[in-house]
Amino acid sequence: MTPNTATSGPSRRSFLANSAVAAAAVAGGMPLLAACGGSDSGSRDGTTSGKDAKKILPAYVASNVVTPDIPSKNGSSVGFTSKLDLAGLKTSVPKKLGKGSEVTIMSPFWGSPPKTDNAYYRAMNDLIGVDVAWQNQDGNTYEQKLGAVLASSDVPDVVVVPGWNMSGKIPSAIISKFADLGPYLSGDAVKDYPNLAAVPTDAWQRSIFGGKLRGLPMPASYVPNIVPLYRQDIFDKEGYEVPTSCAEFMALAKDITNAKAKRWACMDMKWVSFNAFGVLSGSEKPLGWNLVDGKLVNRIETEEFLEALEWARKLFAAGVVHPDAEMGKNAPDPGPKFAKGEFIIYAQDISQWWSRAAEQAVQNPEFKIWGMDLFGHDGGDPVLWATQPANIFAFVNKKASEAVIRDVLAVANVTAAPYGTKEYMMTNYGVEGTHYTVKDGLPTKTDQGNIDVMNAYVMVASPASTLAHPDFPDVTKGQVEWQQRMGAFTKKSPFYGMQIVEPSRYTNLSNDFEQLEDDITRGRKKISDMQQAVSDWKSKGGDKLRDWYQKILDENGSAAS
Amino acid sequence: MSNSTVPRSRAEAETTEKTPVASGGATGPRSKPSGKLSLKLRWRRDRVLLLMTLPAVALVLLFNYVPILGNVVAFQDYDPYISDNGVVSILNSPWVGVENFQRIFEDSAFWQAVQNTLVLFFLQLVLFFPVPILLALLINSVIRPRVRAIAQAVLYLPHFFSWVLVIAVFQQLLGGAGLLSQLLRDHGYDGLDVMTDPNTFKFLVTAQAVWKDAGWGIIVFLAALASVSPDLYEAAAMDGAGRWRRMWHVTLPALRPVIALLLVLRVGDALTVGFEQILLQREAVGPGASEVLDTFVWWNGVRNQDFGYAAAAGLIKGVISIGLVLAANKVAHLMGEQGVYKK
Amino acid sequence: MTAVIDKPATEPSRWAAPPRPVWEEKPSHTGLAAKGLVLALACLAILFPLWIVIVTSLSSRKTIDEAGGLVMIPKDITFVAYQELLSGGQVTRAAIISIVITLVGTLFSMTVSVLCAYGLSRTGSLGHRWILMTLLATMFFSAGLIPTYLLVQSLGLTDSYLALILPSAISVFNILVLRGFFQGISQELIDSARIDGAGDFRILWQIVMPLSRAVIAVITLFYAVGYWSAWFNASLYLNDQDMMPLQNVMIQLVQKQEAPVGLGQAIKTGQLSGLAVQMAVMVMALLPVAVLSPFVQKHFKKGMLTGAVKG
Repeated sequence: MTPNTATSGPSRRSFLANSAVAAAAVAGGMPLLAACGGSDSGSRDGTTSGKDAKKILPAYVASNVVTPDIPSKNGSSVGFTSKLDLAGLKTSVPKKLGKGSEVTIMSPFWGSPPKTDNAYYRAMNDLIGVDVAWQNQDGNTYEQKLGAVLASSDVPDVVVVPGWNMSGKIPSAIISKFADLGPYLSGDAVKDYPNLAAVPTDAWQRSIFGGKLRGLPMPASYVPNIVPLYRQDIFDKEGYEVPTSCAEFMALAKDITNAKAKRWACMDMKWVSFNAFGVLSGSEKPLGWNLVDGKLVNRIETEEFLEALEWARKLFAAGVVHPDAEMGKNAPDPGPKFAKGEFIIYAQDISQWWSRAAEQAVQNPEFKIWGMDLFGHDGGDPVLWATQPANIFAFVNKKASEAVIRDVLAVANVTAAPYGTKEYMMTNYGVEGTHYTVKDGLPTKTDQGNIDVMNAYVMVASPASTLAHPDFPDVTKGQVEWQQRMGAFTKKSPFYGMQIVEPSRYTNLSNDFEQLEDDITRGRKKISDMQQAVSDWKSKGGDKLRDWYQKILDENGSAAS
Repeated sequence: MSNSTVPRSRAEAETTEKTPVASGGATGPRSKPSGKLSLKLRWRRDRVLLLMTLPAVALVLLFNYVPILGNVVAFQDYDPYISDNGVVSILNSPWVGVENFQRIFEDSAFWQAVQNTLVLFFLQLVLFFPVPILLALLINSVIRPRVRAIAQAVLYLPHFFSWVLVIAVFQQLLGGAGLLSQLLRDHGYDGLDVMTDPNTFKFLVTAQAVWKDAGWGIIVFLAALASVSPDLYEAAAMDGAGRWRRMWHVTLPALRPVIALLLVLRVGDALTVGFEQILLQREAVGPGASEVLDTFVWWNGVRNQDFGYAAAAGLIKGVISIGLVLAANKVAHLMGEQGVYKK
Repeated sequence: MTAVIDKPATEPSRWAAPPRPVWEEKPSHTGLAAKGLVLALACLAILFPLWIVIVTSLSSRKTIDEAGGLVMIPKDITFVAYQELLSGGQVTRAAIISIVITLVGTLFSMTVSVLCAYGLSRTGSLGHRWILMTLLATMFFSAGLIPTYLLVQSLGLTDSYLALILPSAISVFNILVLRGFFQGISQELIDSARIDGAGDFRILWQIVMPLSRAVIAVITLFYAVGYWSAWFNASLYLNDQDMMPLQNVMIQLVQKQEAPVGLGQAIKTGQLSGLAVQMAVMVMALLPVAVLSPFVQKHFKKGMLTGAVKG
């Protein structure tokens, strides 16, 4: 392959820790089903949970420094909707924990990194008491860089690895190259780092690689992250009702669509369809398995899967889907077309609810975006499946000294500070006056802030999933309440929360399914092709993979609830 | 074409016949068949030439051949992460014989990709390759300097666009919600989505490639045309050759060695067609119509960090390519051209 | 058989056709019209999309949203996208880095390539076929990313600009093209120089190079464009962001507009649209063409290398 030919990779338009679509939007388009890789070297694959995990996991001590306006319920994020009171910011790290080590951190970065020496990095390092040197790498080629660096003898002290980069042998590299943080964090040890102790246990569980606690997680809500977003202003104007079943959606979509006037109802609704029919999560391979009558069944083997594809296909066939959707992930940015109203419903990561609103607020005051509830296909309650509770991790080099490891944890303890603390403001907004200004309780980044305060520190470890958009409190409320309503319908499949590394002989097995799904919904292939592919999958190793997963289940117990 | 060891081409013979100004192939002392001189003599004669190639050879040996040795992982289940040292990792990875090659050959998707690659190659050979030559001739025949300069500058531009942009522009103009479709709808026809039609995809890819790179491709040919002496044209005109005959007998022969060289190299590169361009549009038409060898390898090997698999695919491709380039070179010799190298 | 540079006695308007040689027949009107039409269509097919790119780069978010993406008809002109690119002071520094790398790299590559091409241009010379095959094979067998990275790292070239020049210094394709043109040069000229006692370096410098100006200009351009637009090696071998060349900074600036909204840090609420930035980057990528084009075209004048090549 010739990486040099890629002058600018396919764009990544959305990303969130728990985003299935994020995984899909990664440069070059990594399919959802390949999020997890494996290795054949004996003990390296498999997982650790159940009793073994109990010994490893850090104790959970809730933080009571700040009380959120909307507490977490049904697995939702916590929400903050009140104005920012700068004078009333709490302190969550009373004593500087850092001992002044020099720590290099390699992390993916989207955007143009600031100068190595800038006011934000200096202030953060000063606050933590650690001399962090950032190696910010182009996020779109991070996978290649990561693969090469891990193979060399020159691994930085800390390496940030997003879940969507954990393909192939990367998980085995994580196990062989990175340190066991258990001695510093397991059980009560974590209490030295109160903000880390307040990180939800689910996220720590996900950070166990090869039987040891190796990752510092960025926690995420397990409620499905794909929201059908729609133009509420146009709905109101035209008198459209938000649909509550597949039939209603289809009728509405036909009503909306008028190709001659350049208006279509929606973009690809495959993910909504999966949710409407209760198809198991496709965001990560292990989540695609469920225990039915004592036997593991994969999502692709279920009737619901085929029905969901069929309905998504019908939408395309009915001509209600915007033609750009046929281009798949590499279609032009849907933002302007959504703003123009060329289509008025699209399914995307929940973060776009806010970002689209923020983009349009100034120049298009009428624009109103809102998320519609997921519906059961027949109009009943939907059956939803939990996504993973953490997907970005920071790891510490195995060769790092104890002093360095302690200082990395000091960094993490600051970056994991909850919303409403001084540490959170510094991590996310920088220095007041230099990087942001506050007016009427609304922090606004300055030009300098927009250059310096990007990515970097937020990649190390984060507090429990938080939604806080001081400029759009109603959107924050809408997002959290959506998560709470949908969370009530969300079930955990047996391998929820586990970090599972499939043996490498199975890694390519289900590669082609995502493309096949798209071929079917766009009418290029038939449902019967999928049935054929599933039966091939079974004979080529799917059945063996089932046994392999069954063994894990027998040894570790299920996370199902 | 200055070499006496190869029979002069027909075209050259014709030209020289018509244009006595041009000299025939020279027969200097250097051009003697190599076998007739002793090694020592040849060393003394050619050591300066060898010295000149030394920097390039050293760079190639170090930066190409040393890492190419890493391709032995084609016979391994290679894990680069079992040690901190590249060589040690290779030595400690398990050997799996030809398993990686088997996996490739047994995959029907591989053969589909090979088929798509070859179809696209032939399509582009016929529809793309001649375009820069024709454009160069056209530009060369324009005599107003300003027009020439502007036309050239404009033609070079698209080469500097990224594929992402080219595809976005094509989508804007030819996509299902694009300019053309909207125009059709306005006049009561159905929309036409050229961008997502698997049946015409290969033509679309070729059209995009022509749009982007045909203009850039003319500059080597312009360089060749710059070397043609106007005396030749004058002499040909004196002999009564008209416009077209002059192009046939003077211009084209000047281009022939370059065309032959580029053609041979293009044939050698037959298995490489538009990696990024196709990767970006793979989803639009599905892999059945779009998968080519490079995207196949990326999809099944590189992306999954299946290094052994990717290396095996690279070796297969390399062996076939070398075979193709040698064959094409042979054909070029038979047609009286120099090609890349000659005996 | 001398290299004469043909120069008209009086310089007419560059729009006008130079005087036609007596032997050349008058061009037919249909011929001229056909030529003009083809050229005009080709240019139009390029300029129309270019127009869209430029207009979009100068449009505000409002205009872009009203158009639903790329803009064909300008409504308002704003330079916010260009301001975004040039703010932060990184672009200037990165541009200087890129210019230096391009100059040094191109000079190095050309020196090595011209020497090598000449060294291989004499058929029958000792070992030339072996060397040719050695070079040719690298066009078809590529090394994996990891072995290449490990080599560069073990040579201590990471975080060094040498890593952006040495591993990619040679294009075998370029060497072969150069060699092809060198071989086209009249052997008589070279032989007579040799009889006069000139060595190979002098022949190369005083005869071959001047007679190959067109192809040398072309290959210089190829190398320069290669260095100028390369970015992957920099993202792989450089860790220090302050060292990044222009292309990397540009790519990252584009990403900034469309990236991790989940982290809530990259959204701008003003008139700036990510699409406009993307298009502005494209427009700036075309600048080198504007700069280099006249430089190269100078060497393409018809018949300027008279006598270099036998027909």
